[in-house]
This record gives sequence, C-alpha cells and structure tokens, in this order.
Amino acid sequence: MRVVVEKLTKRFGGLVALDDVSMEVPSSSKVGIIGPNGSGKTTLFNVITGYYTPEKGRVLIGDGHKLTDITGWNPNKIARLGIVRTFQIPRLIPSLTVLENLLVFYDYNRCASIEYALRRKWLECEEKAVSKAIGILRDFGLLEISQKKPGELSAGHLKLVETLRGLMADASVFLLDEPFAGIESWMARRLIEAIKTISSERKATFIVIEHRISELLEGVDYIYVLHNGRLLAEGKPSEVVNDERVVKAYLGG
Amino acid sequence: MLITQDLVSFFLFSLLYLTISIPLVVAYRVTKVINFTVSTYIAYGAYTGVMLDYYLRRSIGGNYLLVTAVASFIIVGAIGYLSNLLVFKPLSNKRVKPDVLMIASMGLWIVFKYILYVISDIAGYFCKANLVSYGQINYSDVASLASRLGLSGVQESYILFPLVAGTSITLFLLMLGKTRVGRAILAVADNPTLAALSGVSVSRVENLTWFITSGLISLAGVMWTSYSGAITPEIGDSLILQAFTIAFIGGLTSITRTAVGSLLISGVENFGTDFLSTYLGVPASVKPMLTFTVLIATLIISPPLGAAGGIPYRFRRGRRI
Amino acid sequence: MIDVASFLTTLGTYIGIYLILSLTLTLETSSGITNFGKTAFYGLGAYVGAVIGTYLPLAIYGGGFSPFDVNGIQILLSMGRSNPMMDIGVFALSIIVGFGAVAALGLALTYPIHRVGSSLVGFTLLSLGEVLRLIYLNTSALGESKGFMGIPSPFAWVKDPKLAGLLYLLVVLAFAGITLLTVSRILNSPLGRILRGIRDDELVALYAGWPTVLVKARILALSSGLTGVAGVLWAYYFTSINPNMFTPSLTFNIWAMIIIGGLGSMAGGIVGTVLLASVDYAMRFVVPYIGVAFITPDYLRWIVVGLLMIVVLIKKPEGLIPEKQTILILGEGEGGDSK
Repeated sequence: MRVVVEKLTKRFGGLVALDDVSMEVPSSSKVGIIGPNGSGKTTLFNVITGYYTPEKGRVLIGDGHKLTDITGWNPNKIARLGIVRTFQIPRLIPSLTVLENLLVFYDYNRCASIEYALRRKWLECEEKAVSKAIGILRDFGLLEISQKKPGELSAGHLKLVETLRGLMADASVFLLDEPFAGIESWMARRLIEAIKTISSERKATFIVIEHRISELLEGVDYIYVLHNGRLLAEGKPSEVVNDERVVKAYLGG
Repeated sequence: MLITQDLVSFFLFSLLYLTISIPLVVAYRVTKVINFTVSTYIAYGAYTGVMLDYYLRRSIGGNYLLVTAVASFIIVGAIGYLSNLLVFKPLSNKRVKPDVLMIASMGLWIVFKYILYVISDIAGYFCKANLVSYGQINYSDVASLASRLGLSGVQESYILFPLVAGTSITLFLLMLGKTRVGRAILAVADNPTLAALSGVSVSRVENLTWFITSGLISLAGVMWTSYSGAITPEIGDSLILQAFTIAFIGGLTSITRTAVGSLLISGVENFGTDFLSTYLGVPASVKPMLTFTVLIATLIISPPLGAAGGIPYRFRRGRRI
Repeated sequence: MIDVASFLTTLGTYIGIYLILSLTLTLETSSGITNFGKTAFYGLGAYVGAVIGTYLPLAIYGGGFSPFDVNGIQILLSMGRSNPMMDIGVFALSIIVGFGAVAALGLALTYPIHRVGSSLVGFTLLSLGEVLRLIYLNTSALGESKGFMGIPSPFAWVKDPKLAGLLYLLVVLAFAGITLLTVSRILNSPLGRILRGIRDDELVALYAGWPTVLVKARILALSSGLTGVAGVLWAYYFTSINPNMFTPSLTFNIWAMIIIGGLGSMAGGIVGTVLLASVDYAMRFVVPYIGVAFITPDYLRWIVVGLLMIVVLIKKPEGLIPEKQTILILGEGEGGDSK
C-alpha cells in the first residue's frame, strides 16, 4: 500500500510541530525519516495513524490509483486498514505474555464480541490466532520468550515483538519509530533482517524513523529529512547524507 | 426571583469555592492525585472550629476566628502531610496507576470521616456534647471587627467569608508568585524532572504542597461554620462535587480558569436554581443536578488532560497538551 | 437462641447479592472502567423494583391508594399474602425492567465517560450516585427520606417464613450464578484479553484496531444491567428501601471487597466478598443484639475496613489471591488455549 502525505500542518498552541510537510511513499518501498530531536518525526507518525488531527493537509492511503483520505479517522479504523506502528519506547501490554500481546493484534472480528464470549463460540478463532502467532514467533526465533511478560524482556526483544504485531494484523504498512535506539548491534541486525524478510515476503511498505543513520542507510530506498517541522531535504540515501543543509542541521540543531 | 438573595449567596459561595478549588488545583498539579480526602480537610477544618468553640466558650467565653483558622490550618495541614507520608508516597513509589491513588484516597476519606464520628460519640458520652450536629458558630473577633467597621448589623458570615477567602487566596498566590518556595512549587508542578535538575528537592516541595494546600482547603470548613446552622461530619461531601467540577473546568491546570469555574458554578447553582424554581416550578433540590450537568458538559466539551486525561480524542480538534 | 437455619439463609442472601456487585465490579476494573458509583446503578435498580412493586399492585387494586400511607401499605401486605401470581409477576417484571433501565443508564454515560481518563470516570460516577440519591431524597413520588415500604416479596404468599427465605435465597444464588458465569466467560476469552489490553494501555488497544470506547460502553451496559438486578433483589429482600442505603460507603465497601480479596482475580473477589459481606451482615443483624458501648460499632467497622484496604493496597496489592496467570497448552504447531 502506498502512503501519501499532503501539506500536513500540525500545531500545538503556539508551537508548529509540522509545517506543510508532503511525502509520497510508494507501495512496498522502504523509506527513512531522519532529523534532529524535536523536528516533528514522531508527530508525523501520530498524524498518519490518527492519534492527532492536522490543522491543514491530508493523509491518503491506497493501492495504485485508488487512494482513501484517512485524515481525521480514528486510530482503530486506520489500524484495520493495515497500518501498524511502533513506539520509541516500546509499548506492550504489561500484564499479558508475548504470545498474548500478539494475539491482541489478531482480527477476531465477531469472536471478540460479548455474545460469542458468553456462548463460548470463539474456540475456532482462537486456535487459528494461536497457531498464527506461534508460527510468527517460530519464524523469527522467539519461541522461547513466548510465555514471558514484557517486564522480563530486553529492549531489543520488545522492539522485535512490537514489529511482529504487524504481522499478526496482516499489516501492509509498518511505521517504525526509532527501532534501533537503545539495542545492541546483534539485535539491530536481527531487526534489519526481519524488516527485509517482511518487506520482501509480504510486499509491505516501511517508513522508519531513525537516529542511527548507519543502520538506516543500507535498509532504505529513500530518505526524508525533517527539521523544525519542515521538510528540509529528500532523496536517495547517498545524496541526502552528503547534502550540506542536512549536515548543518544535524550539527547546528 | 429574589435577585438580592441570589447575589448574596452567589458572593458567599464563590468565595467558598475559590478557597477550596485554587489550592486543590495546585495540589493536583504537584501530586497528580485526584484526592477525595479534600472532603475530610473541609470537615476537619469545620470541626476544629467546633472543638475550639466548645472549649473556648466554656473557658474564655467566646471563640476566635484567628485562633480557629490557624489551628485548622496546622492540624489539617499535618493530616495532609501525614497522608502523603504514610499512604500516597509509598504507593506512588510503586508506580501504581493514578486510579489506585484515588482509591486509596477514598479509603482515607472513609476512615477519617468515621474517626470524626467516633470522636463525636466519645464527646457525646463523656461530655454530653452533641458534636454530630453542631450549631452555627459566632466568632468574637469578627464581631468586634464588624463593629469597628460600622457593620454591626451585618451577618457575621458576610464579613468572615471575604476575610478568610481573601487572606488565604492572596497569601497563597503571593507565595506562589513571589517567593522562592512558591516558584519551586510551580516548577515541580510543571516539570518535576526539570525542577530536580535545577536543584529543587522535589520530595520536600511535595511535602510542603500537601501541608499548605490541605491547610488552606480546611479554611473553607472554618468559613462554613459561620454560615451553616448544622455542622456535621458530612459537610465536606456536599462540597466535593462542586470542588472537582470547578477543578475540571480549570482543566486541572490553570488557576485563572479555575477561578472562573468557581464563579460559574456558584452562579449556576444560585441563580440557576432560583430561575428554575421561579419559572419552571422545579424544586431547589435540583441544585446538585445542575452542577452535575455542568460536569458532564465539561467532560464532553473540554475534558482535562494530563495524567487524568484519557486517550486524547480532543486532539482531534487540535488542542495542545 | 440463635436460629442457625435463618442465620445461614440471611447470610447467604447477603453474600449472594454482594457477589453480583463485586463480580460486576471485577469485570469493570478488568476493562479499565473505574466504577466509583456502584450505588448509582444499584440504587436505581432498587428504586425501579420498589416503584413497580408498590405502584403497580395498587394500581391494579384501584382506589388511588398511595404506597406511602398506612392504608396503601396494608393493602400491599394483604395482596402479597394472597396473590402468588402477582408477587412473582411483579418481581419478574422488576428484574427485567431493572436490568434494562440500569443498562440504559450505563450506556447513556458512554460519551462523557469512555473518552476520558479513569480517574475522571471514577469521580463522575461517584457524583452520579450522590445526585441520584439526592433526587430520591427530594422526590415525594419516591417517598423522600422514608422511601418505600411494603414491597411484596415474590414469596410473600408462602405460609412458612423460613421456607420463603430459603426460596428467595435460591433465587439470589441463581442470579449470582448467572453473574459468575457471565463474568467468568467474558474474562476467560479473547475478549477478556482485549479488555485487559484496554485497561493496561488503551492506546495500544486502539492501534490494534479495537474500538475501545464502544467496547467499554457495551461492557458497562451489561455490567450495569446486572448491578440493577442486584438492586431489585435487595429491594425485594428488605421489602423497604430509603435513600440512605445508597451512599458512597456502599460503593467503597464493594471496592474494599475486591481489593482485599485481590484486584483482577475473580476468586479473590469472591473471597473478599464473603469476608466483608459477612462483616456487613454482622453489623446489621448481630450487633444490635449485643448492644452498644458508647461507640457505634458501625463506625469502627468502617475505620477498620478502610485501614485494611489501604494497608493491602500498599503492602500486598495483589490481595489475598493474585490475578490468575494465563496457562497455555502448546501442541505441535497448533495451540490449545485454556485459562
């Protein structure tokens, strides 16, 4: 699925977090977003996923020529279109195990209704959900932690599980917010491998916010640079890294 | 419609609500607890007046506002401080959800209320004094102040209310704005981490805030003793709805908005009730329903944010944290 | 001489009704709904039951008698004694209307409540309880401070009062059982897992695609309906109700039950309920026999319960019985799931 962001402006009182930002992320591509702290990267994710409503501009999602305007939609409605996001500090449900955290992202549909709960008609859905979740955990070598609670896991594992939630939800757009922050290199490798696998097997679209540019460079096709809420530069990774304005922004900002 | 009477009530109740809600909002900003014990602070403030009245009347012949106010401030301030020390701080150290703090405050509310009833029981048994429903209190120093100002015929509460409310709020706001301590409190209220980095002892500020705000809120109870003919341990309960509705109107952050909220609720209650009973025949008992309607309206239109807030659906209209 | 049979019957009825209240509260807290206004829903149910139980029979009897004067009450009592169909019919109608009306109240609160934080929810529901109580207190058609008397028990026609008591106990236990089944089935299902997700991190649940506001609204509606039924059961058990029965202390009591027993655990809630319901029963029925010193024991009870609850919150938040850990049985590539 492709993601189009048109002239997005988001204000918080007097503070302009996003200023006339436009982007186009083609289907199945991998795009990076970089920029100094406070440049509006996470705000952008919040607007795309429906947590914030922009003052101006639109967010569109779709395939080919058919684009849907999802500006102002509720986060759960947007999520059901197949968009999933992770957080800078991973957010998993603390009282549920890793396996159950994945299960929450399964589309139970009617099996999650009060009626079905009372009549115990959810067994079949649950079996399918559990086998899907176990399959995912097995594919990514995480079966040993399936029964652990988030409190017992390392940051790296948390970030990986957060990303895998998207697989449970059959997501086609993954918004990852600083996935490599605060995790060891070997875990970052695993994460990069996971992204590559998901991207090629599922033809998923990835938008990744990152500070650790080196990890990002080999993974993405295109980079957007945000600074003070505005789009400063964009282009292929090699171009952007050598762009004067970008270097200045990072050193000066 | 009895406009004059409404105006007087509006005046008195606005002062009462201001005395409660302004410290309440500052307390919330620092402590992050929706604290039901506020009802206790008011009741204990009133009962300090009652106890002092009972003893002073028999020994000296009269009760003094100054003595009562100071005693109430110190006693209830201590109660607030101890509540934090023994209950709220240990709980928040365990990183519990804000709900749990609120539940604990409800537990404290119940415990304190019934302690008051037990005290009344004991007083009733040993001194044959009825403390469960005590009459209106007259303060000698207020009476002499009134005669010095040439206002001898005026009801005591008309003088006492502005006196207490005015002094406490002015002193409080001055402290917050002009003193180092006050500025430290506001710094912790805004951003505890930043304040700690600037060298402020966050836990000392918290303790101080608990003491001061609880003490100030208790003064509302003292005010009440000169107004009401029946002082019972339940008086705080009847004021909580208003106090928190006002705090929510203020967004739990802005003192100015809270002040506006106090006037609004006082106005709605006094003029609104009279209006409804005069023109629509609705009985005066509709008063709490009116305030509750304002509460619901506030939650729908402009709910408070921050730790008390939930999923920020109001961001959908583009407003800031 | 203590009559063991009726002692147990009364105690059982007490525990049964309180179980409905605490189980529904467990469901609510497991979904992130902090219901500090149980009395609002409970009281409404009781008043619905009282209104139907008194106005309807008197209307059928004719003659324009009021349920609040001696004549009206006499008529209700004699009708009750001789009219099994009326007794049971009125009772059944109260249960149905009670469930519906209170569920509707729960649903009506959706928009203001489910979008704001849980602390605000708690406070608003508490205030709702107080506002409703004041309405009952000031409405003459609802008996004002005296409330209703002479509500006909569904078994008023049974000659032996002990048998009547036993039959009523069975009815209460039946409804308690229904509540237990309902709450248990919901909490031990995928829905239950999602509810816990909403409780712990509503934003993540939203991002998982769940319409959290709607989900909470439906749960509160169901839970309130059952709470209303408990109110009806209470009204028909005591056959008289007044506004002072529905104070915040009652809500607090139920919270104390689930906290002391163990927040989040159904078994814990049951243990806490049996404990505190027994204490409540002792306060109401046993103490008046023992006689009072100079301190009302009821006051001491609240102080002890309050302190106990706070101590449990601080020292052992899981309570007596912690939240059940989920158990998963893994097969070969497929999973069987049992909790």
